Amino acid sequence: MALFLQQLIGGVASGSMFAILALGIVLIYRSTGTLNFAQGQMAMFSMFVAWSAMSTGMGFWPAVLLTLLSALAMGALVEWLIVRRVEGTSDLNSLIVAMGLFLIFDGLALYIWGPLPKSFGPFSFFSGGASCIGGVCIGRLNLGILVVSIVTTALLYLLFQCTRFGLALRATALNRLASRLVGIPVGRMLSTGWGLGTAVGAIAGILAAQSLGLDIRTMFFVVLFALAAAVLGGLDSPVGAVVGGLIIGVVKNLAGTYTPSSVGSIDLAVAFAVIVLVLMVRPNGIFGRPVRMRV
Amino acid sequence: MQVLPPRPKPIGLLLLGVFLVAFPFLHEWPFFRMFLSEFRTFNATMFAVWLLVLLGMNLLTGYSGQVSFGHAALVLASAYLTAVLSQQYGFPLWGAIGLSGAATALVGWVTIGIPAVRLRGPYLAIATFGLMLAFPQILKLNVLTQWTQGALGIRGGVVGPPGFLGGVLDGRAWMYYVAMSVAVAMTLLFVNLTRSRTGRAFVALRDSEVGAEQMGVDVPRYKALAFGVSSLYAGIGGGLFFAVQGFVSPDSLGLIDSIFFLVAIVIGGLGSVLGSIVAALFLTFQSEAISALAEFVPGANNLRNVFYGASLIAVIVLFPKGIAGFFQRPLWPKLREWNLGRLWSSRS
Repeated sequence: MALFLQQLIGGVASGSMFAILALGIVLIYRSTGTLNFAQGQMAMFSMFVAWSAMSTGMGFWPAVLLTLLSALAMGALVEWLIVRRVEGTSDLNSLIVAMGLFLIFDGLALYIWGPLPKSFGPFSFFSGGASCIGGVCIGRLNLGILVVSIVTTALLYLLFQCTRFGLALRATALNRLASRLVGIPVGRMLSTGWGLGTAVGAIAGILAAQSLGLDIRTMFFVVLFALAAAVLGGLDSPVGAVVGGLIIGVVKNLAGTYTPSSVGSIDLAVAFAVIVLVLMVRPNGIFGRPVRMRV
Repeated sequence: MQVLPPRPKPIGLLLLGVFLVAFPFLHEWPFFRMFLSEFRTFNATMFAVWLLVLLGMNLLTGYSGQVSFGHAALVLASAYLTAVLSQQYGFPLWGAIGLSGAATALVGWVTIGIPAVRLRGPYLAIATFGLMLAFPQILKLNVLTQWTQGALGIRGGVVGPPGFLGGVLDGRAWMYYVAMSVAVAMTLLFVNLTRSRTGRAFVALRDSEVGAEQMGVDVPRYKALAFGVSSLYAGIGGGLFFAVQGFVSPDSLGLIDSIFFLVAIVIGGLGSVLGSIVAALFLTFQSEAISALAEFVPGANNLRNVFYGASLIAVIVLFPKGIAGFFQRPLWPKLREWNLGRLWSSRS
């Protein structure tokens, strides 16, 4: 039982990291209807920005701030320069553009920082002794990840639910034409959606780097768990992304613990199985709205 | 609405046929010796393999408008099936390839195509993306090791020509003839398929699913069928992939290959046979071309993906019919059709 609880807590912690990466995917999907397959590689790019900032002697928190601002600008720029060119053409085009972005960020990081892994964390905030309650412990790394994820989610919730700006963002996601009619600068909102999504992705990236290290392929597989989380929760539901992320994290951890070693590692297969199951049973996820089609 | 490309002239086809038949021997002839070597025969064999795979992918994406980021997983699955059947169960290699192709087609049709009917673009993309990332790990599972040999992969035997051709052809030339004949036959089949009722149904459901339904196209059936036929091409290509390479491992093909397939058909030309041919040429020679470029432009090797990603986006935005689009009509009207306006429109 203690092992089960232990794995449950570990799953919640890593799940919270998947949750905020999924949150980024959902924010972008809601803003322009683009499923951003490049989310992982863009987060990886931001992680390298943070690494570069720190290797010039900057402290951890200033470097994180700089990274978030640059990710915000990067996401907005990508929407403004590239995604807008295929806006409203077809799903196929926007998926192809997302793959183009995947290649561009993958290649840029390889060109700038080279193929070798970099040492990046765990930083003091994420290292230290474990805290225990009644025989069940949570490591400092997991605790740190959990705290950062909760704070990020809470801030986003406040931004979307309690500010006029958040209201405008939600309105744009809901109905673009009506939003323009009431005077919301729709284009700017779409860019902001991409910027926010990318910045949230950067946070997830920095968290991932604390346990997985930093190289070009760090986020290659992590993004699969985030996608599974987003699908499970419903691609257009931020709440769904968080819930989905936590479920995926727990399922992945428990599957890893209770699979006999004679089978081999199956975490990616589990994520894939979740995606397939959800799509078969409930294609819009737990919290998603069904989509209707017109000619 | 897709306008059918003009039929090629018979004399051109005849010349092409003669060229393809003579190709493995060309490097021994005086003039061609200057720029051909025996290695080019291997290149041409791989070209045939990629042509099969990309025709299948183009049928799915270019003709029927469904996207797959997991096509390399189908190719890999079929390569593995061929390897297991021929190396462990004693099937003759060519029989194993045919069987794997049929099995892949069935799997693609029943287990991917039919469920995919319910999924809109982004969801299908996620499912195939997941398949692609998870598949190498599944191949490495310990419980499957007795068939897949885990991460080590499976090595194939040496393939030689049948006895009566033994004195004329070496193994490499024989492999070229087999792969190229399969590719040519299946290309002809493909051309006929796309001109048939079925092919037009694919195009109709790409352009508008609801519209196609109104015209009497059985949308679910044709969507699933597109996946099945596409998987057949991927399967035959995968079987030949194993035969040509003589080796397959879980990391032989991965996500990046799936993405490169997409890059290739988009740059070559979506919804066009010529586009698939250009795409196969691209896939065959891209790494060599980039290495050659790297001798003049330092760092070109590392910038490869940036270049491909940028090309992918530029082609989709500016000339969605790809390179093949230029060959099908004169260049100038084509230039005017470029969506240049999209470059500076800030409309959202």
